[in-house]
Amino acid sequence: MHRNNAYGFLSLILGFSLMLASCGDTTEKTTQPPVQAKLDSADMARTKELEKIFFSLPSPTEMTTLIKAKGFQFDPSKLVATANVDKYTGETRQAVMLGVYGADLSYASVFDQKQMSMEYFAAAQKLARQMDADGVITSELIERMEKNQENRDSMLNIISEAYADMNDHLKEKDRIEVSAMVITGGWLEALYLSTQYGADGNAELRQRIAEQKYSLNNLMNYLEKFGDSPALKELKTDLTSLHDAYNSVSENKGKTSANKDASGKMVIGSTTTLAIDDATLAKITTLAKDLRTKYTSL
Amino acid sequence: MKLIKILLPLLLLMPMASDAQCRAFTKNQCLPQLDGYVQNDNYNSAVLVPGDDAELLLTFYGGKEYRLVVCAHPILGSVDYEITDTNGDSIYRGNTASGNSFDFKMVNTQQLIVKLHVPDQKSAVSNHEGCVSVLVGHKDAN
Repeated sequence: MHRNNAYGFLSLILGFSLMLASCGDTTEKTTQPPVQAKLDSADMARTKELEKIFFSLPSPTEMTTLIKAKGFQFDPSKLVATANVDKYTGETRQAVMLGVYGADLSYASVFDQKQMSMEYFAAAQKLARQMDADGVITSELIERMEKNQENRDSMLNIISEAYADMNDHLKEKDRIEVSAMVITGGWLEALYLSTQYGADGNAELRQRIAEQKYSLNNLMNYLEKFGDSPALKELKTDLTSLHDAYNSVSENKGKTSANKDASGKMVIGSTTTLAIDDATLAKITTLAKDLRTKYTSL
Repeated sequence: MKLIKILLPLLLLMPMASDAQCRAFTKNQCLPQLDGYVQNDNYNSAVLVPGDDAELLLTFYGGKEYRLVVCAHPILGSVDYEITDTNGDSIYRGNTASGNSFDFKMVNTQQLIVKLHVPDQKSAVSNHEGCVSVLVGHKDAN
């Protein structure tokens, strides 16, 4: 009986909606220019919506892989303590910290730190639960992690999949801003870790830090799409100081080339160069540390 | 009348289900195509309709090999995609009917743009919506 009433009620709503829609059609047919304006505005809204969905930065794994490839050693003192995970409060702080823990998890996994990887995964899961964003971290996923502890690439894929699932889940729940904050936190922590090693003067790492100019520009433009969102305001302000420092990383725009190698694979190159001087590197290192301290300290 | 009463509410609920279905589609149908690569932390998936255009600006690091997968639900037909540099110069054009992945090596770090276009369906009675995902996987270049 209740079910029948519910169907009847929903059908009534749909019927009313269809009535309204058909009324709209009649109006649109008689006033052509406003229709066009309406369509344009709908198209623009659609474009804006898609711009918020289609966004990506290189994952923290790509940064931390380079640290290991250059022969640097794992240093647990560079990581945020997992013991404090319960003490972070507020949506912005928690979302940024979820990204930070994710980057630390990638760093530990890249260096094959199995026990520590599990600790950071548990911390990230706990934080995700506090934020009501843990729906995608299933027992099956945790089981896969435990089974694949010996296989570094499998572990990295499972971690990336968990974060991709979570970002998607947040978008589904209309919490796309929170997803943006998580991505920002992950990027910030990966930058922090790189600058901690980059201070040792490794040329490739130094170059990779300079290349974060692209990611930061992309990130700033992305956050701008959310307008004056109060949740993102502080984060945007914080990143502005870093953005200002990155303005001193000079870019010499060149041309892109794309050719196939002997195996038939496309090889894409560019004559564009980025240059970072010592003072700018030192400034970025300090700012990355300050920002990281701001969000991780209790 | 009875049938309408049952079907209409179900139609109302369909759009709510599509986002979650999109993730399931991406994980089951698209993600396996990144086999051998470490995936990025983002699926970049959305429910699109014929006529939709979308763009994605991506940074690719020098010294890495990448696989880009553009994965679209068959209900949308063949989805066109193009990879350009930030000057708009075309590097690669494809569509999901003839091949939905593109493997490449990067000599040095640069930003590239992935442009998507879901063609209008001329023969279809009504427009359908379907999931489109852009996945990126990376590995160290040999």
